[in-house]
Amino acid sequence: MFNSLYRHFFKLDALSSFVALGIIVFSALTLVYSLRFMRGHKQLIQYYTYILFSALASILAVLSNNLILLLACWGFLGLTLYLLILMGEEQPAAAATAKKAFVIVGGSDSLMLLGIGILYFLTGTFWMDNIKIPLAGGGAGILPVAAYLCIAVACFAKAGAMPFHSWIPDCAETAPIPVVAFLPASLDKLLGIYLLARVSLHLFVMNQAMNTFLMVVGTFTIIAAVAMAMVQHNLKRLLGYHAVSQVGYMVLGIGTGNPIGIAGGLFHMLNNAVYKSCLFFTAGNVEYRAKTAELDELGGLAKSLPITYISCLVASLSISGVPPFNGFVSKWMIYQGLISSFQSSGSKVQALVSVFCLVVALFGSGLTLASFMKLLHAVFLGQRTNSQTQSSRNEVPLTMWLPCVILAALCVVFGIFAYQVPLKLFIFPAVEGVLFLGTWQAVVSTLLVGAGLILGLWLFNLKGVKPVMRQDTAFIGGEPVDLTEVRVTGTGFYDSVKNFGMLKSIYRKAETGCFDIYEQGKKLFSLSKVFQYLHNGVLPTYLVWMLLGMLGLFFVLAR
Amino acid sequence: MSGLLNFILIPLGAAFLVALTGNRMKKAGNFIFILAAFLLCALSLYLVKSVGAQKIILFKAGGWLPPLGISMVADGLAVLVLVTVNIVSLTVAFYSLRYMQRYTDVWKFQSLFLLMLAGMNGVILSGDLFNMYVFLEVASISAYALVAFGVEPEGLEASFRYLVMGSLASIFVLLGIALLYGYCSTLNMADIALVLSSNPKGLLVGFVAVLFLAGLGLKAAIVPFHAWLPDAHSSAPSPVSAMLSGVLIKTLGIYTLARIFFNVLGVSSKTLLVLMVLGIISMAVGAIMAISQSDIKRMFAYSSISQIGYIVFALGIGTPLAIFGGLFHLFNHAMFKSLLFLNAGSIEYSTGARNLNKMGGLSRRLPVTGFTSLVGSMGISGIPPLGGFWSKLIIIIAAAQAGYIGFATIAAVVSIITLAYYLKFQSFVFFGRLNKAWDGIKEVPLSMKLPMLFLAVICVVSGILLLPCFRPLLESAGGVLVSTVQYKDAVIAAIKW
Repeated sequence: MFNSLYRHFFKLDALSSFVALGIIVFSALTLVYSLRFMRGHKQLIQYYTYILFSALASILAVLSNNLILLLACWGFLGLTLYLLILMGEEQPAAAATAKKAFVIVGGSDSLMLLGIGILYFLTGTFWMDNIKIPLAGGGAGILPVAAYLCIAVACFAKAGAMPFHSWIPDCAETAPIPVVAFLPASLDKLLGIYLLARVSLHLFVMNQAMNTFLMVVGTFTIIAAVAMAMVQHNLKRLLGYHAVSQVGYMVLGIGTGNPIGIAGGLFHMLNNAVYKSCLFFTAGNVEYRAKTAELDELGGLAKSLPITYISCLVASLSISGVPPFNGFVSKWMIYQGLISSFQSSGSKVQALVSVFCLVVALFGSGLTLASFMKLLHAVFLGQRTNSQTQSSRNEVPLTMWLPCVILAALCVVFGIFAYQVPLKLFIFPAVEGVLFLGTWQAVVSTLLVGAGLILGLWLFNLKGVKPVMRQDTAFIGGEPVDLTEVRVTGTGFYDSVKNFGMLKSIYRKAETGCFDIYEQGKKLFSLSKVFQYLHNGVLPTYLVWMLLGMLGLFFVLAR
Repeated sequence: MSGLLNFILIPLGAAFLVALTGNRMKKAGNFIFILAAFLLCALSLYLVKSVGAQKIILFKAGGWLPPLGISMVADGLAVLVLVTVNIVSLTVAFYSLRYMQRYTDVWKFQSLFLLMLAGMNGVILSGDLFNMYVFLEVASISAYALVAFGVEPEGLEASFRYLVMGSLASIFVLLGIALLYGYCSTLNMADIALVLSSNPKGLLVGFVAVLFLAGLGLKAAIVPFHAWLPDAHSSAPSPVSAMLSGVLIKTLGIYTLARIFFNVLGVSSKTLLVLMVLGIISMAVGAIMAISQSDIKRMFAYSSISQIGYIVFALGIGTPLAIFGGLFHLFNHAMFKSLLFLNAGSIEYSTGARNLNKMGGLSRRLPVTGFTSLVGSMGISGIPPLGGFWSKLIIIIAAAQAGYIGFATIAAVVSIITLAYYLKFQSFVFFGRLNKAWDGIKEVPLSMKLPMLFLAVICVVSGILLLPCFRPLLESAGGVLVSTVQYKDAVIAAIKW
């Protein structure tokens, strides 16, 4: 009986099984990391319960073949997200963030319910493998598009694509780090993009307009979020904006609508979960030791946290798309998807959009690298602050650095052996007919890169070149200055971005919540002023309402 | 079967006994009060079984055959509402034992409470319109008095407003009954349905429909007849609010409305459309008003208007699935709204305050209240796997299935707003930084915790009502409303038998 129930409600195919596998791996790593990081927290039992419930609900959601079951598990994840964010230490902020996250995520679930309702109206079934409807044509008018958009909004909110992203940076800043690495950085991405891929590939037949829409949303997310990340002063918030920015690549990949782009998007989803949770874990390590996540107060931690530094470096290079790491491979596949979308484009608009998206995505990748240079410099390199005078090696405990190392190793393996391991095992079975436009010999190029580095080092040593560094006393107005007081932080340089012409006003607006759908939504409730005016507590007014209501009913019913 | 009479005799008798003894012997009063509530709850659960077997149970008062004699009818719908009312009233009665100690003359409260319960049970079981009206007034008048029980200025004012508007509504209902009696020469509901089905309906039925809709709509607090509710429900003592918001508006409003419109007058597509539109307006206005409230109980009161809107909307869709969802939502809403009002009562009991903005971080001081209110809030916002999720799901799916995509969209958007204001309640009251003023407060006593925990458990597991073994309860209730002639035929068959 159990077996038949299982077959009835669940479906294990190539797409869902590798996502489920990913969920299990990330849950395990999070649990290991939490062992030490969360030690001493007051509600430890609840914490682990919520984590396990989240993992279970995610797996059920991914494997589900029934839309209602999917929705139930999906919605439950919003609740666990809410409860987990509430565990944050800084109380008023954590409560506000939890509320914001749950309003956006839980609210989008209502829209998903509506989308499922419309799908049921159109097809008469909740079974996902029985649904396949075209977006346009078919005589159903705008309804398929509405259903698709409703479900896509839920995916966007879960994964954090713009404009439903604003909970992620807040959450990254206030929630406990393992929670951030677990839900917004890995599980929610996997789920959101999984469902987006599922509905785009299997439930609906996409058309050009919708693909273009996805591409534009993705591109906008990439560039806008990375621009926000550039100017952040908080390590966790910066990573939070990158978590948003990377979603853009995945949505862009799925939006290309051709196999290579979709495969790239899915691969990027997996890669992102790997390096983004690695980055959040390393941020947790930094915070664990330095007791702060403000970039201005950090510096020179590479010596005391060498393992953390190496992991963070690998993950940073991956996220910036530097070969031979995994981020490069998936981004490169997405670019190929865009190029082939350009080549096969039927209309001028599509060609133009493809090229535009390609350029912006490349540019966004460059900006990502720039902001990670800032992060690496501000946290691990640069000068130490006064408060952290000890410079001896002081690595975090084993259970905290091990997950980072495992994830960093995955970044390398997925990059160098991309064809042999992840693509062959996970991605190609899920997306059929992937055709590469060019060739990329990952192993060979890695060897070449390695050889180049060794050659460089050899030349460097051979010639006896030594960095020349002279430290001198500095004077201001004849007074010697304490150099540790006026140290150069990693953030200062990037402040000029903020003050650059037109960007200045945009940044200022962004900081006041002008592009935050949650803050804007609040404004709608000034509508209640009108109703409040009518509820004035005067009995005759209320009686007049009643009379007017009756008149209206008489007009309709008693004619 | 004379068992049906117990549902009215027990609370009436207990009300009398409590009034007799409660003044002198407080413990005896308490004992009778709880015993009556417990007996009613047990009897109503037992009735589920017997109605499940016989489909309909008819009681003929004094052996006189209807339509000449008075009859009481328990069918699927009546049983569902009866069970809901009596479960909630038992819980609230238990809670009130401790909570009401702050007031003087508790026996008066208990007596009025039992009278209100007698009125509600009577409304549910009554087989003819005039008795329904009488019990409606019994319940309403006790409710007016209960709202004013705290004798504080705002309670008195709210009670007066409620009294005026409620009496007006009762007059409309009475006028409607009189006109129907003039037309059909009978008061028995099944008989009226029989007469109306053979005679042309004409303008009169439309006119009567409006009278009923306005009168009963006011009892149910459908916009624009809702204005009394936010004042009355927020200024009453919390157990009373729990009863009013939890079951009274559903029994006096939704149940009677459904019974009269679906089983007696018969519904046309126009009436259904009117119900749907009223439901949509109620849910939207209630939610928009709720989000800007800073008084906890006022927020809950507006939320009741909004949720009643969902039920009316579901009834207005009129498909079997929608009616099923609407009745399920009625049950769920009774549970979580009374739970939330009990939570508000506990907060008030511990802190003495009702203003959201002054609180914060109370979950550390009031863990049980905090946890149960989280369950209630999540339930009413429709978060899976709680019961409220399933009923909301069924209503929206049913609306979409029937092709009302626009209305379904509004319902979905309103549920986002619902989530937003319940999260506002949670984060303002229970999370965030603890206000220094509440540093020394204590959790409420056990006798107040238990009812909250009980309701919270029901909120969590009420989804099991959808499982095949429990589904007949809701399905038979929905079946009564789906087919217009079933009630009439069943009652007439039961009379002959």
